[in-house]
Amino acid sequence: MASHNIESFDAATSTATLALDGGIYPLDVVYGAAYALIDRCYVLLDKESGKGGRYLVHLRGKSALDEIGLQALSGEFGNELLSQALRRKIVKQNGAIIEEIVTTAIAGAAGATMPTDFVVEEEDDDLDFLDDPLGIAVPWEEKFKKDKSDNA
Amino acid sequence: MTSPTGGDGTIRLHKSTYMAQAIRDAIKVFEDFASFEMTRDGDYYLVQVTNLDPEVDGDLAGEFCNFALVHTIERKRRTPGAAGGAA
Repeated sequence: MASHNIESFDAATSTATLALDGGIYPLDVVYGAAYALIDRCYVLLDKESGKGGRYLVHLRGKSALDEIGLQALSGEFGNELLSQALRRKIVKQNGAIIEEIVTTAIAGAAGATMPTDFVVEEEDDDLDFLDDPLGIAVPWEEKFKKDKSDNA
Repeated sequence: MTSPTGGDGTIRLHKSTYMAQAIRDAIKVFEDFASFEMTRDGDYYLVQVTNLDPEVDGDLAGEFCNFALVHTIERKRRTPGAAGGAA
């Protein structure tokens, strides 16, 4: 693997050093991979001198690691690099779609697409709560009372 | 790398991978445990660590580097395209 070389292991200090080709792994991708492992190891990012120099990633275990442990850590970092690179590519490819979905969602939440049925017409504001056009507030007895003369 | 301090108490952080403000943030957080002095040397920020609190348990230099790195990443995410060497 030319783009991701394990430069050295030092089991005495639990340190592995990897060299990454900056042309294949942009700094964002290296940052993403480092971020993912930062709870398990100490990460120091360096860069070789000269334009287009490789990134040097020093990983040191928070607990003592033997050579197998260091190899596993380096392998996980390599996997994370690939994962971050793929994620970056997908975001780039789908950026326009994601932006459109978010814009639509925000516009909807802001009320831009509110149906007209929900818009209260101004004339409704003139209604008084004392108005009773259907006679709902009229007591039953009053509404249906019969004259005493009818009973007789 | 045996230790980010390189054995002489100096942490070397490359300007293209660490932001100066993130390093200053880290110094503020860790200054209760040691004395820090930040200088520049070519492509690197040099952080001299002295007067390390003897009661500190763990790798202060390693934690310092992680903190500076995380803050660099977070700052760059907030301001895409920010220069690494911004002072």
